[in-house]
Amino acid sequence: MNARSFSVILLPTAECNVACEYCFEYKEPHRLSPALVPLLTKRLLDHMENEDIAECEVYWQGGEALIMGPAWYLETRDAMAKAARERGRRFVHYLQTNLISYSPAWNDVIFDMFNGSVGTSMDFPNHHRKLFNGSADDYSRVWRQRLDEARAAGIRVGVIAVLHQGSLAAGADAFYRHFVEELGLDDFQVNTPFPGGPANDSAIEFQLDPAALATFLGELFDIWVDRGLEAGVALGPFDALIDHFTGRPARLPCIWKENCSNQFISVDSKGTVAQCDCWVTSYPDYYFGNIFREPDLTRMLSESPARRQFVERPGKLVEDGDCLECRFLSICHGGCPVRTYSALGTMHAKDPYCEVYKVIFAKAESEGRNLRQRRTAKAAV
Amino acid sequence: MAQPPLNLPPDDRSGSGTPALPFFPAALAGNQLAGPLVVVVDTPIDFCRWLNEAPPEVQWLQVEGLLGEPEIWAAAARQASAVALDVVVSQPGSEFSSLYRLADVRNVRDVRVTFPMVPGFSKALRLAAALQLPVRLLPGQPDDALVEELLGAVDFYLHDPSVEVPVEFFHSFLASQSGVPGSDLWMILEQDPDEYRRHDQQGALIYPEGALPSPAPSGFVTRFEQNLAEQGAECSGCRWQSFCRGYFKMPDPDYACAGIIRVFDALAKAAGEMATDLAAWQPSPQEASQSPAIP
Repeated sequence: MNARSFSVILLPTAECNVACEYCFEYKEPHRLSPALVPLLTKRLLDHMENEDIAECEVYWQGGEALIMGPAWYLETRDAMAKAARERGRRFVHYLQTNLISYSPAWNDVIFDMFNGSVGTSMDFPNHHRKLFNGSADDYSRVWRQRLDEARAAGIRVGVIAVLHQGSLAAGADAFYRHFVEELGLDDFQVNTPFPGGPANDSAIEFQLDPAALATFLGELFDIWVDRGLEAGVALGPFDALIDHFTGRPARLPCIWKENCSNQFISVDSKGTVAQCDCWVTSYPDYYFGNIFREPDLTRMLSESPARRQFVERPGKLVEDGDCLECRFLSICHGGCPVRTYSALGTMHAKDPYCEVYKVIFAKAESEGRNLRQRRTAKAAV
Repeated sequence: MAQPPLNLPPDDRSGSGTPALPFFPAALAGNQLAGPLVVVVDTPIDFCRWLNEAPPEVQWLQVEGLLGEPEIWAAAARQASAVALDVVVSQPGSEFSSLYRLADVRNVRDVRVTFPMVPGFSKALRLAAALQLPVRLLPGQPDDALVEELLGAVDFYLHDPSVEVPVEFFHSFLASQSGVPGSDLWMILEQDPDEYRRHDQQGALIYPEGALPSPAPSGFVTRFEQNLAEQGAECSGCRWQSFCRGYFKMPDPDYACAGIIRVFDALAKAAGEMATDLAAWQPSPQEASQSPAIP
């Protein structure tokens, strides 16, 4: 079997226990029935067998993934593991949660199924993540409490922060201090926002001027290099770029893969298959099919006209745009389809954050060069 | 690409004494499995058959005219069979974007792309480099415009930090100028008929364009050089003769090599600059144990 990676972003429910203002997902109260897990597993294993793939990474998220309850995950994990074992394959599970409903009751699941690690999200400053009956401050307070409890239980927590106008106004130094010094995190990632789903007032907060965003990220990069890089703070995607530019194996984020359609799919609780969670929750015109109704996932993926657009996107960009002339083509390939589509109404254009990425790439390239020289000098001494 | 083992019968040995590597069309290859060979496939059916059932004698598949078939590349990415692929792109200026179809394939097997130097070839070169696909560039006899494109490609190869894979013939020439023992241009481009024996659909040997099919190919390049010298070609006074061995005089022996010499000069200049940099370099003990030369 080959080393090709295959990942599934699995959304066992669209339900959520919080009310973030900018969320682009349609929060239908629907959950993946345990009765359907064997069929879902069979479809995935059939596909892995067809594609000669030994291991599938499953990223559980929602909605809010913890709504399903610990027992549901243990049952699902066992069913999937048994079916995979019988066919000589393996599932590896990851969990993305808002942490709000975390309690010690989850510890066994998190250690057994998710290798003692979870991913969560928090913005700085938090203006838009809110409880159903509470303010953003209430959300931040509860989230912080859960974060501390999870870490006290020995769980490794990685945090994704989506940037917004408030982040830029607060500045890179305050942003970095909040996550590293105030929250004590040594593993977090910054994501660029995009206006997915229906427009609302909060979406404006996430429409960032590329020049201002580039300045912010450039400053954040410098701060991280100065204070965090050698101290072991992992700040994505900067750390992956440094790995790349120092010649180490780099796990670049999906937005910069040569073609994300080769890497993963997303499946929601009703079996809808699309490119990623952003597409499966927001853009029905781009669904690939339904994993329960269609007997052959491999065939669905090879024949879906919607998926073909994803497959062909990088080629169209180098034909029609200026990506081919870009010296960072090998680590970008035109960027993220959903960021492009949500901003421009077509995926066949380069990522609207192109100029922002170039700033980060150039900084990482320069720092990578410096780092190699420093390491060489250090080795010489 | 893999080198053939030394187990061919004497009449299949090249002038250098090393075994020649035969290339056979897929229809004939099944009867030629006594020793190492390259199978040339140009239909999806032949491609999939040899991809799935290539015996160990098959050194690689030379894939011609199939880049536009997305289904076969999905199949090639699916199986981790050991057989390597040399994907020939005949129209690189218009087909280059289809190289993305190879992005997943190169994760499970060795893949090289080969394309002729025709207008627009540098687009394919750029994308191949971005996708980490090694390149074999068949230069032919470029006109002035193509020489300019070739010089741009040399500059890209030398100075773009995203280039991490070999681009032939640039790579081997640069290595030779850096003191790495190597071969000549005919061998590097796998065009020496003594060593790489291509057969047509009837099984007859294919000779380089413009060459006479008689006598037998043994010593072809040497005889070709001698003929050029007898005709008073500029090669005898050329500083790159020992590497080129008249390659650019095929098929038209009157082709003027001034543009190509600029290409060799640019690569040699870069090799000189590298040598200067390396001479000034103070390696750490760890680095001193590693060769600074081009692999």
